[in-house]
Amino acid sequence: MTRGDSLSRRLLAWLLVPLLVLGSLMLLQAWFEARRTADRAFDRLLEAASLAIAEQVQWQDDRLWLDLPPAALEMLATDAEERVFYSLVDHRGRLITGNAELPGDAREAPSDDDTLLYRDIAWQGLSLRQGVRRTRLEEWQLREPFEVRVAHSREGRDALAAELWRANLAMILAMAALAIVALLLSIRTALAPLTRLRRAIRSRDPRTLAPLELRLPRELAELRDTVNDLLARMRRVRANQERFIGDASHQLRTPLAGLSARAELALRQEDPARWREALVAMQATSTRTARLAMQLLSLTRLANPEYRPELAPLSLNVLAREAVREHWSSCHRSGVDLGVASAAADVEIRGIDWQLAEALGNLIDNACRYGARHVTIRVGEAPPSLAVEDDGPGIPVARRTLMLRPFHRDRDDLEGSGLGLAIVDGIARTHGAHLAMSEGAGGVGLRVTLRFPGETP
Amino acid sequence: MTRRGPTRTSPIRCAGCWLLALLLAVPLALASRAVHAAPSLHYPATAGGDAASPLVIHGALDLPQVRPLLDAFHRDHPQFAIHYRNLSTLALHERFLGAPAEADVLISSAMPWQYRLANDGWAQPLETPAARRWPAWARWRSELFAVTFEPIVMVVNEAIIARFGEVRSHADLLALLERRDETLRGRVVTYDPAISGAGYTYAIEESRLSPRYWELVAALGEAEAALAGTTGEMLEGLIEGRYLVGYNLLGSYARERLADQPQLRIVVPEDYTLVTQRLALIPRQAPHPAAARRFVDFLLGERGQSVLARETPLGALHPALEGPGTAAALRRRLGEALRPIALGPGLLATLDDLKREALLTRWRREFLRRERR
Repeated sequence: MTRGDSLSRRLLAWLLVPLLVLGSLMLLQAWFEARRTADRAFDRLLEAASLAIAEQVQWQDDRLWLDLPPAALEMLATDAEERVFYSLVDHRGRLITGNAELPGDAREAPSDDDTLLYRDIAWQGLSLRQGVRRTRLEEWQLREPFEVRVAHSREGRDALAAELWRANLAMILAMAALAIVALLLSIRTALAPLTRLRRAIRSRDPRTLAPLELRLPRELAELRDTVNDLLARMRRVRANQERFIGDASHQLRTPLAGLSARAELALRQEDPARWREALVAMQATSTRTARLAMQLLSLTRLANPEYRPELAPLSLNVLAREAVREHWSSCHRSGVDLGVASAAADVEIRGIDWQLAEALGNLIDNACRYGARHVTIRVGEAPPSLAVEDDGPGIPVARRTLMLRPFHRDRDDLEGSGLGLAIVDGIARTHGAHLAMSEGAGGVGLRVTLRFPGETP
Repeated sequence: MTRRGPTRTSPIRCAGCWLLALLLAVPLALASRAVHAAPSLHYPATAGGDAASPLVIHGALDLPQVRPLLDAFHRDHPQFAIHYRNLSTLALHERFLGAPAEADVLISSAMPWQYRLANDGWAQPLETPAARRWPAWARWRSELFAVTFEPIVMVVNEAIIARFGEVRSHADLLALLERRDETLRGRVVTYDPAISGAGYTYAIEESRLSPRYWELVAALGEAEAALAGTTGEMLEGLIEGRYLVGYNLLGSYARERLADQPQLRIVVPEDYTLVTQRLALIPRQAPHPAAARRFVDFLLGERGQSVLARETPLGALHPALEGPGTAAALRRRLGEALRPIALGPGLLATLDDLKREALLTRWRREFLRRERR
């Protein structure tokens, strides 16, 4: 497991990135909000100061007159000691009085009455907030509009905005820290069962195939059950292997013990004719034993799930005829009539000829051994199939499946190994074919059919 | 930096005219002008080598008063070649607007002018420990510093006290004037606010303090008080015996001039005493800002302030200094009665043309009330 591909990192990244983006947005928003709030608070000062000035405006000596109240200017300066500017302008834009020629505000007033417009201006290199009050002098005969323009520098606003923002910043940071801690804890808690599962698997005895007993959340319980299923299958496979090995040793031991007994008996004799007799018998036994070993070997190979042989196209008719040719003489010797019923058309499948020949051989051998008089090899067309039919005693339906197990024999017989049908079954599986057992023609005997998959090529 | 040329001062052009008319020799400069013909001082740099730098100071501060300060500074920092020009407050202001990059330090008692310069952004900040420790009421931002503490006083002839009793406060003065005694007719003197910038500033401050100020103006008018343009003029008249009572004189000058005049008593009013302050600033375009910062820092430091307290009548402001000639001593004596002129935007109102016109109209009306009757 590389560090870069850890689940908890992935989770953390996917949760943290949106969290950080969200946090930054909140900070940005808090900053704008703080500025807005500070401006709102300090704009009241512009409002009050401009009102205090406007109230002192009079009409005197045929012109606008202002007795400037110092308090109006002092109002504009807070503890931050802002720079303060004011001017009184008549309706033609002429400066009546003031300490600065502040610019006008071109915006339309929302109404003709007393209105106040705020805006940020840059004036003489200073960054100012300006309030322009448009109002009019109303006397008996007179309607004289005028503007009071006041402005101050931004120190107080900036200080308040910064203070508000810092308070927000502290809160947002605390929340972020809390969220990150909660995130780390929850990721750790959520992934803890995974760690437990890993530990449970790692700490197991490598030879044990017992199922995992572990309480896990649903998602992981499914994984645990899957692992347990696999383990169960492995247990069955191993049990099969153990039984096979036991049976195989037993099978090999019996002829070897026979050989040994026979040799011992012969050694007690002095007559070379007896020796010869014994040697003949021993040769037959050892031949059988060699065949048994061969069968065991091929069965082992067939049972290997990684064995993937090359399949080649071959003709079933040819295969059946060659089997008859090979086995006819030995069958004839034991008085069995071997025949072939090939298909009308040529039936081709993909397969391994020597394996199928072996399967046919085994089936013919079995039929001969268990007392059949007539044995027929049949080739089917749709689906492609090979069948060996005899008129022997047959196998009861209930026991047919048992016959496919290695070393299972229907009755005591010393000749057979009990491997024949198991090998045929293995070969059928290698070819993806289905092995079926049924009664022979006329309800007697046994018919073993290999049904190959697919169509006729 | 050519942020603003002098031509931009049009709104205050008119204010300039009136000040020009009267501040030509603001009282401060006058007292000793006869004695010192050359209104400037030079100190050559005597040490420092590479660190040597000129330092140009423009001040509305007479040479006898500024000399101890410059002596002490030059002793401490001989690397500076100091050039001090003594100017009237108006000349100083006009000269600065004409050549804002000429002086390194401006010191002036015209508080509204100095405040206005700083408010308009002409000053540069001074960030030194001494500047940061400076009392908040005596500075504006870190650009404008009040360095002196000078009460506005009355001067009363002992003969008046002997005849009418003690005059300790504005109320006493008002009571004295309201006796309408013939001895006082034409023998009271005060500033003419119409021609004196200082007088106008005091009038505005006093009228803000109490509406009873107008009663006092009316009483002064009734006594046919003489109106003078400077403290110096008033002091001359008092010493010569032309006047018996002087109202609103600059305490620092009175103290110096009247030291050998036992018949004249300086009265620091008990009910309220205006306190004026000289304001120092470093122009943004100062040609030698480092030297300027060193000098203002010296002015605000304990050393400069103790020189001010001991060797000048100006009054030291430093909170750590005690004893005669300090704000602390004055405060202990007068307590709450001290009214330093606030260093704030209210000063800008003082410079408003219409405001000035309104106040002078009112003043004239009150002063001439008797004639109308």
